[in-house]
Amino acid sequence: MAKSTDGIQLEGTVIECMRDAKFRVELPNGHVVLAHISGKIRKNYIKILPFDRVLVELSQYDLTRGRILFRYRN
Amino acid sequence: MNTLVITQVAPRQWHALDDDLVVGRGDASPRPDGRLFLSIDTWHGSVFDRLADAMLAALPRPLYTVVDEAELDLTAQWRGIGFTTRRREWEYVLPADADQAPPPPNLTILPLGAAEVRPLRRLDRAIRAQVEATVGWQEMPAEVLSRPTDPAQHAVATEAGSYVGLIRAVQLPKQTRIGLVAVLSTHRRRGIARALVSEVKRATHDRGVALVTAEVHEANTAAIALFEAFGASRSGSNLELVIR
Repeated sequence: MAKSTDGIQLEGTVIECMRDAKFRVELPNGHVVLAHISGKIRKNYIKILPFDRVLVELSQYDLTRGRILFRYRN
Repeated sequence: MNTLVITQVAPRQWHALDDDLVVGRGDASPRPDGRLFLSIDTWHGSVFDRLADAMLAALPRPLYTVVDEAELDLTAQWRGIGFTTRRREWEYVLPADADQAPPPPNLTILPLGAAEVRPLRRLDRAIRAQVEATVGWQEMPAEVLSRPTDPAQHAVATEAGSYVGLIRAVQLPKQTRIGLVAVLSTHRRRGIARALVSEVKRATHDRGVALVTAEVHEANTAAIALFEAFGASRSGSNLELVIR
């Protein structure tokens, strides 16, 4: 098995659900990233709504983009 | 991406590694009906294609995936590797309110949590048998498959003590999700489904939540008519894609 490193993962709050199935997520430091949902969330029909607390993985290539890995129960 | 390596890290999991950094993940998971659903998460289309190649070569077909139709890039990526649309489900949003449709004559609606387990299970089995004998469960949403029958998630229509219709509704913090509305074939066309949906809307309103949501197969004209009669609006659509 190859050695692997996860990307940067942060908790955030969804502040806007956009029409193209993307979400604006505010991070604790005040930065806002544009995130899409992970395949696992999509497969499990988990809905993301404004004010949901979520775990976001930031892109290694562009720190303004992210992927929502998990939705916390508020 | 010159050093991209695709590695199978578990029987149904793959990683795309670039200089030991995970830049993509692929996963295959079975549904209760036995179908295998894929997901691929990457930041670049080229990584998506490499992961997909490895997964498609290793897994038995047919294979399925789910996409939000609004995710145009992702949908195009799956289509680009040979997936085609198998079904579309509309997402409907209904406002929760206290206006209740009166139940049809001689019927009583048991609210969420009030049904007894044994007759509820009998009704659930009877409805599942009717579905299996007609459209089949593969035409139904995955989330209604093989779930334990929990009275807290069901409102039930009864007639002369017999359970004749049910609605399964999951009460989430910000919404109530309707998973299944079903009436025995001998009792249809009497407004029972309307009374059941109305009960869920009332219960949702009473706990201070504003939204009720449901997913409906695009060919399910009866369900579409039912929800649109309540003023439901479409908020999106999901595609189930397949490669055979």
